[in-house]
Amino acid sequence: MIDVLSYGLIVSGIIFWFWGTLPLLGERSVLFKLHSLSVSDTLGSMSIVVGLLLKIPSEWPLLVLALISLAIWNTVLGYVLAYCSSTGGDDV
Amino acid sequence: MSEDFYIVVIAVLLPLTAGMLVAQRNPYHALVIRGIVGAVAALVYALFGAADVALTEALVGTMLSITLYAIAVRSSMSLRLGLLAAAPCDPDEPTPEEPPLAQPLLKALRRALSRHYLRLEIVPYASPEALQFALEKKEIHATCIAVTEALTPATAQSAASAPYHLSVRLPRLLEIVQNGVPPTLASVSLYRSRQMTTANLSDSPDARHNIWENQP
Amino acid sequence: MNGILIAMTLALLIPIYEAWQDEDIWQTMLAFASIATKTSIMILVVSVLRDDWMIGLVGVLILSVGNASLMLLAHVLRRMNEL
Repeated sequence: MIDVLSYGLIVSGIIFWFWGTLPLLGERSVLFKLHSLSVSDTLGSMSIVVGLLLKIPSEWPLLVLALISLAIWNTVLGYVLAYCSSTGGDDV
Repeated sequence: MSEDFYIVVIAVLLPLTAGMLVAQRNPYHALVIRGIVGAVAALVYALFGAADVALTEALVGTMLSITLYAIAVRSSMSLRLGLLAAAPCDPDEPTPEEPPLAQPLLKALRRALSRHYLRLEIVPYASPEALQFALEKKEIHATCIAVTEALTPATAQSAASAPYHLSVRLPRLLEIVQNGVPPTLASVSLYRSRQMTTANLSDSPDARHNIWENQP
Repeated sequence: MNGILIAMTLALLIPIYEAWQDEDIWQTMLAFASIATKTSIMILVVSVLRDDWMIGLVGVLILSVGNASLMLLAHVLRRMNEL
């Protein structure tokens, strides 16, 4: 039961990855891509990590640390990239 | 063998990204791709069980070296252009105002330089003598003066048709500038130092260190 | 578990291709951000697969540090046209 749940979470995380990364290939603006990438990448990665956590509960401190750093860093990184790409650096 | 198939697939990513890095011409893009190579390399190292090497690659190879190289590329891939400031400028002022000088000229110059991934850095000077001195001391790569303000009558004569005169210190930069700036905007010439002959000007390491990467 | 890692590698190929073909520096940075996250999650998956605590620790460290290097690089690139 737990095994099925963890595999389901990991597979759904990979589907999230594909769903968020495929818009990178289009001709959209940076902010649109950043939005889809940060939302689905963070959610997909978190669901993969939760799936791993269900699989091997003995490594929980490590995986919880990964969850926290994913949630915080990816959010901050999204803000920083949006701020930097909208102010200058256009003609490099 | 089929158990370890994913190891082969992931290991192939490393030469793939490394080839991308070598083939990239723009230095800033190459920096970002260096980061990608670092991330993939850390993954491959961790896959083969070398956790310490992976950690070092991520910390030093990716983070530290990219930051240092970004600063190095930013400060070396630039052309420092000396200008006459409209008003005598204060040396303590951190960001000097761009003098209200021929905007189309600067625009053409920026476009010509960005084709070679160089930046234009503007350094204002108070007097034509200071400008000349800075060019002599290799503080700047080129000067741009209005013909009416020219120090020597010779440059004023040669530049009779164009409103501005650019004198460039380095032969390779002269080539780039000449290709990009239309002759109606400014005349361009190679600056010959009074102390040095042309031969050892082109030989001196300082004359080359900024632009040798751009040689075709 | 092998199939999962192969699928992750395929997902990793998309931003690599994007970084290869795009001319805009910020799109390349986005691809870099995506690759940094994906590789560290893959390291975590490998560590769980092999039940290796040490590799998992390295994966978490890379996950947090790689993002910091990205922010530094973004700020350096932003200041490129100033001064």
